[in-house]
Amino acid sequence: MSDLIGGDRSAGGGPAGDLPEAADRRLTSGAFSSGLTVPDFAACLHMGLRPVGLVQGFCVMQWGWTGQGSIMRGTSPYSTAGRSGSYSEVFRCPHGYVSAEHRSFGQNFDQPWVEQAWAQGFGSAYGRLMEEAGEAGAHGVIGVVDTNRHLADLNVTEFHILGTAVVVEGWDPPPGTPIWTTSLAGQRLGKLLEAGLMPVSVVAAMSSVRVWASCMTEYLMSGQAVTWGQATGTDEVVQISKAHMEVRRLARDQVRGMLGGDSLHGARLDVFERGGEDQVIEAVLRGTRVRRFKDVDPIPVPKPTVSLA
Amino acid sequence: MTVPPTEPTPADPGPDRLPAELLAGVTALARSRSSPAAERGATSDLTIDQSLLLHAIGWEPVELVCGVSVVSVPYGIWSWGSGEISLASAAHNAAVRNAASRLGQEAATAGGHGVVGVSVEVTIHSRHIAVELTGSAVRPSRAKGAAKAVFVSDLSARDFVLLEQAGWEPVGLAFGASFVYAPRRTMGTAMRQKGQNVELTNFTEAMYSAREAAMARMQTSAIVMGGKGIVDVTVREGPMSFASHAVGFTAWGTAVRLAGKGHRYIRPQLVLPLDDARILFSAESLRGD
Repeated sequence: MSDLIGGDRSAGGGPAGDLPEAADRRLTSGAFSSGLTVPDFAACLHMGLRPVGLVQGFCVMQWGWTGQGSIMRGTSPYSTAGRSGSYSEVFRCPHGYVSAEHRSFGQNFDQPWVEQAWAQGFGSAYGRLMEEAGEAGAHGVIGVVDTNRHLADLNVTEFHILGTAVVVEGWDPPPGTPIWTTSLAGQRLGKLLEAGLMPVSVVAAMSSVRVWASCMTEYLMSGQAVTWGQATGTDEVVQISKAHMEVRRLARDQVRGMLGGDSLHGARLDVFERGGEDQVIEAVLRGTRVRRFKDVDPIPVPKPTVSLA
Repeated sequence: MTVPPTEPTPADPGPDRLPAELLAGVTALARSRSSPAAERGATSDLTIDQSLLLHAIGWEPVELVCGVSVVSVPYGIWSWGSGEISLASAAHNAAVRNAASRLGQEAATAGGHGVVGVSVEVTIHSRHIAVELTGSAVRPSRAKGAAKAVFVSDLSARDFVLLEQAGWEPVGLAFGASFVYAPRRTMGTAMRQKGQNVELTNFTEAMYSAREAAMARMQTSAIVMGGKGIVDVTVREGPMSFASHAVGFTAWGTAVRLAGKGHRYIRPQLVLPLDDARILFSAESLRGD
């Protein structure tokens, strides 16, 4: 994943890929396109960035059989996490045998096969954006935004990433220099540079945790723990709380793995829940990987002002 | 006759620094594929403005941190009754307490001295209440070692800086909630009020009751944390979507206390913006309206 997101395409003409011929013609036609607002456009020219084209990448993924990863996950209380650093936890029934319908255990486990499929969709779209940027001779891509949405009432998701490819005026990059990318543009990018931070690449990761509810989780989530469980009625639903904490940790760990000692700026964490007691919780963390190229030069303590207007 | 002095010319602003900074940045990036920094990089959801403001007062972001808790609400408590729905209030307050505690623990583990810009998401379902907190752990740039106590605050970095300049410090997130039944009217009252423009005192009184209990709990939680006051209080109130005869009131804000001996007056500078916010031309004016 980090290889895909890290942006290993070379500046000044990327490797030959499957860019449509029409896109190639458009990118080299002599007029530029950009997704920048006029203030951002003016600010970029001011700091020595020249837009060369609005570049995009798409990938449409079908979510097929999602598999179970390591054997018996979610179906056996003795199964374990499928990979290093992943998450699996069993929640046992405190009641003993009640009936065949009664769940004797519940389990939380992360779903690396879902995370890898998401990374494949995002990474392919990102790779295609980088290919276009390389074709346009860009040194960087600014104002990168990404969306993913269901295309129809099917298990089909479209990944779309776009940004404005730019050239640094007066700079001749050594061969093999990677193209840098950032979700920032305009004055925010200027402030980042002033602060001594250079964007390396946009980073994004998705984590997914499946919850097979234990009997107590079922009772607690349906408000019947006092009747059927061994609870006071306002107990914490530990299994769900832990799933929420872990899905956030997994997303942050994945992104942390992409940073390689750099920092993450402007992080955005979105969490989605699907289902009730048995549910899937997903988290997507996005941001810009930044690297310090000069020491912190703190601004003076700002002076508060009151406007007379 | 002497020659009048010439008008002073504006000082030459000199070459712009930004293109030079950009060139330095891309050159450094081209030189090394990986970070030369020995220590672990920071992660945060702060904007660049907020990060710069923190640096201006000697603080820095450390880590993006989260705290979540889901607490059960017993079945059937929303339907009938009178007075406070104490189990729902207890569930809400427990969920906030657990989530804030986890957020603080994550911040302490990351070496943070506090958490700023905490986004607070409270979801109240009929059978459970979920509280989700996300923020950026921060610490003084020259801090050595762990903090004695980690604060949690929903103040933005800008407000945190202003608070610090005024001589105050955040101590934690103060929270209070109360859910109260709006007693059903008697048949006679309902018939008399039918078609009338009248106040539904059962709802008004329930709202006042919920307000008083929630505000008192919020203030008590601030006092327990050692706070002298609460700033930036957010209030949410209204009937429950799934129980029309139950009203809820939740309030939260950042508990603060004086960091030194007394309040420091900020004395803001007065500024008169020269841009005119009025619309100088609109197509309608051509009609002479």
